Amino acid sequence: MIEAIQIWLSAALVIWIWSFVYKDNYLYRLAQHIFLGAAAGYSIGISLDSLNKTALVPLAKSPTTNMHLIIPIIIGLLFFFKYSRRYYWVARYGVGIALAVGTALAFRTAPMANIIRQVNAVLLPLWTPDPVKTLNNWIHVVITLSALVYFIFTVTPRVVEGRPTITYRVYDAVLRIGIYGMMVAFGATLANTIMTRLAFFISMNIQYLQPYPLESLSAIILVAIAILFAMRRARAG
Amino acid sequence: MGISLKRLDTIIGTRQLLYTLLIIFTLIPMFFPLRLPISISARTKKVYSYIDNLKPGSYIFIDFDYDPAGRGEIEPQAVATMKHLFDKNCKLVIASLGTTGPVMFEIMRKTNPDIFAGKEYGKDWVNIGYVAGGESAAAGLARSISGTVAADAYGNPIGNLPLIKEADKAEQFALAIVYTTGTDTLYYFVRQWFTPYKVPLIMGILGVMGPAAEPFVAAGQAVELLVGQVAGAEYEVLVGRPGIGLGAMDAQSTSHAIILIFIILGNIMFWSVRLRGEKR
Amino acid sequence: MSVVWRRTIPQLLVAIILVVMTALYFLYIDKTTKATLNYWDGLLINYSIVIAAMAAIVGGVDLARYHVSLIMKREREQIPFSLITIILEVVCVIFAFYALATGVPILTQPQFSWIYLNLQVPTSSAMYSILVFYVASAAYRTFRARNPPALLLLIVGVIVMLGNTSLGFAIWPGFTPLKDWIMTVPNAAGYRPIVIGVGLGTIILGLRLILRKEVTWMGRRD
Repeated sequence: MIEAIQIWLSAALVIWIWSFVYKDNYLYRLAQHIFLGAAAGYSIGISLDSLNKTALVPLAKSPTTNMHLIIPIIIGLLFFFKYSRRYYWVARYGVGIALAVGTALAFRTAPMANIIRQVNAVLLPLWTPDPVKTLNNWIHVVITLSALVYFIFTVTPRVVEGRPTITYRVYDAVLRIGIYGMMVAFGATLANTIMTRLAFFISMNIQYLQPYPLESLSAIILVAIAILFAMRRARAG
Repeated sequence: MGISLKRLDTIIGTRQLLYTLLIIFTLIPMFFPLRLPISISARTKKVYSYIDNLKPGSYIFIDFDYDPAGRGEIEPQAVATMKHLFDKNCKLVIASLGTTGPVMFEIMRKTNPDIFAGKEYGKDWVNIGYVAGGESAAAGLARSISGTVAADAYGNPIGNLPLIKEADKAEQFALAIVYTTGTDTLYYFVRQWFTPYKVPLIMGILGVMGPAAEPFVAAGQAVELLVGQVAGAEYEVLVGRPGIGLGAMDAQSTSHAIILIFIILGNIMFWSVRLRGEKR
Repeated sequence: MSVVWRRTIPQLLVAIILVVMTALYFLYIDKTTKATLNYWDGLLINYSIVIAAMAAIVGGVDLARYHVSLIMKREREQIPFSLITIILEVVCVIFAFYALATGVPILTQPQFSWIYLNLQVPTSSAMYSILVFYVASAAYRTFRARNPPALLLLIVGVIVMLGNTSLGFAIWPGFTPLKDWIMTVPNAAGYRPIVIGVGLGTIILGLRLILRKEVTWMGRRD
């Protein structure tokens, strides 16, 4: 019995959320608020689990050696001061420490990970015995440099008295190559976005709907009624 | 002409019509399976041969960190690669930097029990569960798993798990695999696992994240990517265990077909209206 | 309280942690000093993990507060929905605390896991998958070759789409390697500046925090 309710509930929630694309209705809002409540509750629960593993268990096991773990717990509790009108600033100590450690971890490795390694990746030989490799290397170098110019050095030279200078023409050509290079990248992203969205949709069908046609049908009928009701209400103004 | 092109464009572009057509095309393979053959891309083969060439018994770190929506794309990759790793007798340490990761791992484990058959918890695999902190968690686990968490996802003290005694720091892992739906997580692993410890990375990601993750491969920061449902389906073929990935390929083909038809029709209408000079 | 406690000290704390952690990473004096510095570095990281867990809890409280405020506004239509959100959230939290108190791992607590498996997972997946409908609509209405760059985007998009499916392979087997080439050569080159940009952004954020120029993280103005 409980299993039947579970199956029906899952199928119904999926269909009710999808119904939004046809028209906003009560069942959609019900499913949406169930999502919000369950997601927030889950997120608190799983964070408590992390807190338990990283602080509470060590504290309970050997309180003397791990007494210092009280410090981050207290700093974390300071977050709740953000609800105080008077002492809201106390929360900044907690936020500040978490922000500083996270940024420091990225700050100290980003020069190597994001910049040096990526610059190294374009230090490629432009003449090789293999023509395909030569072409690929040229594409890597030219598109990277021109897209970099487009993104980071976005200063367009001025056109003096309506006549473009050579600098302007060169710069314009580089920007155009950059734009076309990025269009290729965005085209690839577009195609992959479509694949991902379709995959989400197909796998929802495979998991929740196709194996349970009766449950899905009953949820569809309910939501159709809800949509009709919403349309009548909208017409009535 | 009785009906203007602009009007025709509006009729075809009706939202409800497009949605209904998409649903119908997605459901076609359910009634008429196409069973189209799939090709295995050189990139998926590269991941396969990389894992195949690992020393048997190697320690592998896995970040299991995708959203419920990403299940269809990433679970096929995870199941197929984990089966391959277990077949090679590799030992897996699993953790999640995202809140939904532990749930998705449990769902994967329950729906694919054969992968874990004959494997002993604590010796062959360990699940740490969720660790908060994002980049800090990645850095902490890389330094020392036992120094970061005191218990695993099932409440076992971390010190009681033999596998963690053998593989506790990033240096001890032969490979880290990141199954994630968050692009940030890729940066965390490149910055905290590859840059300081040179741990080879394989990234199992959503299709939409694939293009943005390519520079990591070109710069040698990742061994290779598994991108989207198609990569999962290809890996399922390689390990000889069909699953959700392969099952969805026909529906992917038909739904891609309708999207392509929409794009072509949209462009035909756009240019017809433009060339006839009708006001849009 | 003076501005020093409210603004200056938190800002200085951030700057000091950033400078110290960066120094800890690069500094090498001798093995013993390195080990000590490493210990402090690890301690800060562990503290930040604990603090991050607490921050996520505050995020959940924020949502509940927001829905309480909606109920207080007495909007008749919204009240039942906000009540559902709050009740579900509170129920989850109660079971999570119950699990903690009884020593059961939260994930295996039966009621908690029932809620996330049967309510959270399907609704969360459906919420994200809804975007497919907008993709279908955009495919007809907006993916149009209005100019040469848009035409290039569409051509590449179509090739990669065909390379992603068995349909493309059935039409022409060359779509798969062509897709791989697009991804690994022009696409990787096109995205590289973005990775470099992210790196520069991270460095600039760090420097701004050290120089106390970045203040957005402090929230409201005093």
